[in-house]
Amino acid sequence: MPPERSMSRRDFLRKGALITGALAAGLPEAVSFLHPRIAESAIMGIGQELRDVLNEETVNRILQEALARGGDAADLFAEQRFRTSIVLDSGKIDSVTYGYPRGAGVRVVRRNQTGYAFSDEVSYASLLDTARVASGVVETQSRTNPIDVTRRNIAQPFTLLNPEPLLVEASKLDLLMRMDAAARAADSRIVSVRIEYLDEARDILIGTSEGIYVIDRQYFTSVSCFPAAQAGGKRASGLGTLGGRVDAEYFTRVSPEGAAKAASLQAVRLLDAGPAPAGPMPVVIAPGWGGVLIHESLGHALEGDGIRRGTSILSGMQGMRVASPLVRVVDDARWPNGRGSYGVDDEGTPGQRTVAVEGGVLQSYLLDKQNGWLLTQRSTGNGRRMSYRNWPIPRMTNTYIDTGTSDPQSLLSGITKGFYAAELGGGSVETTSGNFNFAVREGYAIENGKVTRPVRGAVLVGNSLETMQRIEGIGTDLVVELTRGTCGKDGQLVPVGVGQPTVRFSSIVVGGSSI
Amino acid sequence: MPRQSAVDLAEKVRVQAERSGAQEAEVYVEASTTTEVRIRQGQIELLNQAAMQGIGLRLFRDRRMGFLYTTDLRDTVTNELVNRTLALTNQATPRDENKIPEFLTMSQANLEIYDQAVADLRAEDLVRLARAAEDSAFAQDKRIQTTRDVRCGASTVEINFSNTFIGRQTFKASVVWLAATPIATQGAQKREATYVDRKRFLADLARPEQVGQIAVERALARLGAASVPSARVPVVFASEAAGGFLGGLFQAFSGLNVVEQRSFLAGKLGQQIASPLVTIVDDGTMRRGLGTRYFDGEGVQTHRTVVVDRGVLRQYLHTNASARRMNVPPTGNGIRSYDQLPAIGPTNFYVDNGSSTHKLVEEVPNGLYVTGLAGFGMDIVSGEYSQQVDGQWIEKGKLTKPVEGVTVAGRLDEMLLGINGVGRDLEFRSNVASPALRFQSLTVGGSA
Repeated sequence: MPPERSMSRRDFLRKGALITGALAAGLPEAVSFLHPRIAESAIMGIGQELRDVLNEETVNRILQEALARGGDAADLFAEQRFRTSIVLDSGKIDSVTYGYPRGAGVRVVRRNQTGYAFSDEVSYASLLDTARVASGVVETQSRTNPIDVTRRNIAQPFTLLNPEPLLVEASKLDLLMRMDAAARAADSRIVSVRIEYLDEARDILIGTSEGIYVIDRQYFTSVSCFPAAQAGGKRASGLGTLGGRVDAEYFTRVSPEGAAKAASLQAVRLLDAGPAPAGPMPVVIAPGWGGVLIHESLGHALEGDGIRRGTSILSGMQGMRVASPLVRVVDDARWPNGRGSYGVDDEGTPGQRTVAVEGGVLQSYLLDKQNGWLLTQRSTGNGRRMSYRNWPIPRMTNTYIDTGTSDPQSLLSGITKGFYAAELGGGSVETTSGNFNFAVREGYAIENGKVTRPVRGAVLVGNSLETMQRIEGIGTDLVVELTRGTCGKDGQLVPVGVGQPTVRFSSIVVGGSSI
Repeated sequence: MPRQSAVDLAEKVRVQAERSGAQEAEVYVEASTTTEVRIRQGQIELLNQAAMQGIGLRLFRDRRMGFLYTTDLRDTVTNELVNRTLALTNQATPRDENKIPEFLTMSQANLEIYDQAVADLRAEDLVRLARAAEDSAFAQDKRIQTTRDVRCGASTVEINFSNTFIGRQTFKASVVWLAATPIATQGAQKREATYVDRKRFLADLARPEQVGQIAVERALARLGAASVPSARVPVVFASEAAGGFLGGLFQAFSGLNVVEQRSFLAGKLGQQIASPLVTIVDDGTMRRGLGTRYFDGEGVQTHRTVVVDRGVLRQYLHTNASARRMNVPPTGNGIRSYDQLPAIGPTNFYVDNGSSTHKLVEEVPNGLYVTGLAGFGMDIVSGEYSQQVDGQWIEKGKLTKPVEGVTVAGRLDEMLLGINGVGRDLEFRSNVASPALRFQSLTVGGSA
């Protein structure tokens, strides 16, 4: 729980002036290159700036206004983000950016209807207006019960001792330069390296007409390294990523240089890749980021909006077989350091571990509050939004196929001609038909039970239910990918984790160019 | 529209940055209003009303660049942000290309990108249009029992821009859209399709009945779709799919990707990269264009640029920085919002209509007609293409059966040179568009 306010605003401003004054006198970098707004909030306490305007009493009054024309429920979501991003390209620090978006949104819900409005200005007056606008979706006049929100504690899924955004800016720049040097040194055929760094602390304050009032801070870090290789008229790119919901010590536990070098070596390997095959064949997908498959094949179809509307292939399938009996699918908001992890979702519901599929049988959907109510079920803590400018919708957190019993090496045996997906790219799905695809960044031929020559990228396509039935082996080597994964739905992007052990499919259509 | 105080404040912030040591500074204020309704089964599912405003400030000191953006316009906040961003800017690397454009000659022509009738639309008007589209969808066919939703929205934006050299410049733009996604049901099978129209002017927007009708035709056409055996055959991309393909190809024309060797088109200037039937244009000045603007995100006047002329690569597209690196004039492709640095993006980017009346489908003895693309499959670095598609199978020049669960694949350089038909059905419902294109031969990946 955040500390109580330790300093009045006036005191802060005086202290702020002192810091600015001291800057010129040459304070150590640790002070001079913090995100400016982080520095302020470090003095005032997490979420205190939001709480100054939106205490329990003002939140009660805003929610009362939101429900003045009727409606089943209302909530207020305020947010401020402290973002630092740095781009390195062609060996130079290209740009450095501080972002400080801040605002609040009000939602009014009546059965399946949603009214949403937001304000970029966090003030009581503007949010009363916002509440009135949001209530426009409700066409009836009715009395509402008094609202009385109470502060709740958040059970954090893990503790970050020294959260990343407090790392000094100078060491971030150094990190990027080191990665750039390592990527270039990996091979003489590397002609270009771009590295993008982002860190963020996100303060949120949520009040709901059910009486919930929570304040949280969520940290997030992401580093992506994109080397390009060129030789003999051929070009290829590699990708290396670092980050997650990690602390500053993370960069001493992992090897940034190693990740950059690996990305370069991937680009170089792909220079020699031949064309991928076309048509159905046995496919083995490597652990970790291979979980894009489960995210697309079943994950989106489990989300409560499509279930409630009856437009998902998994509507009405609870308790029914949706995958091979080997398959357990878990969505876990509490996975340590996961990109999709949180203590509380964007509706104030605690993040949880949900077993969605057990023994191939559908156990639970992934629900937000509204779709949960409409299905007479409870939210599973999957109500997320991209920012205060968006209303919450059901989303995945960290979604993975759980560990199996097969020796990963044994999963290749018996395949005379097949496809090994060492690393995937992105994917997409249409949940009404279940048709989905995922791209392969790095693929190999499987010949007589062995991974052999590299083949160029190709998409793999399938239908959710058919493909999930075709899982015939799951390895013991579960990896949940913490460093990459951004999911887009309905125009809202959110970070997610995906994962799986090595998984073998009897047949998937590979979309290469060679017949 | 922006509180005038926000524009004044932005100017104040820029001047303050210049006084505090930024040799050049640029401020971009974006204020917009959006209303969107979503209708399902005649009922309002969502009413979203948004008014937003943010500022982006770019600073240059000794050819180093720093950037900040915020929606919080309290002056204690902006003061602090400016000072700290200047400090951070010192950590960037000096780069010759870090310079903001000094001149802006705004087009004097009326580009017609703002329609007061769109600004005046109220939520009730949008509900009426969306309901009419949904009613029309239900009336088409009894296999249409539900929709995912029908969306109708209107948005207006005002841009205010200035930099150390250019005084305040401003323009307004509007956009209105209507999108229907009916679901066709046959037995246990459900297939959806979307048709969306998007226009600057309300009077140009497709009638709701038409939106509902076309969406239904598309959904019904998908019922009963199945895979086909893998084959190498001619493939026709219908107009919308061709536009999607062109959108993926855009980054290959980016001057930055070219100079950094991240495009398969690097080093190809002046060469024949596509069939002589193909002309590709980026035109930021097209009247009523969805990508039209008076100047780009860094104050460069927009242009009409012929990128590919009858198959010959003539120009890459640029921000000011990438143009300086390649020693060419900028093309007005610095696309941004207040919270992003200008980056190379399309204005109105399109394949021009074919000059002859190619019968794209009729001439194909055996092949695939692609109406839908899904997912990601274009690698503009390596020049490889592979994507999930659906559509219809072509036999003896006729569409014979619906197809799904297949991929198309090829090498982009061979694909572009192998285009042997360009349709005449270019239509702008997005800022990236193309008439139908026929590729001589692609690999279709399907059943064994």
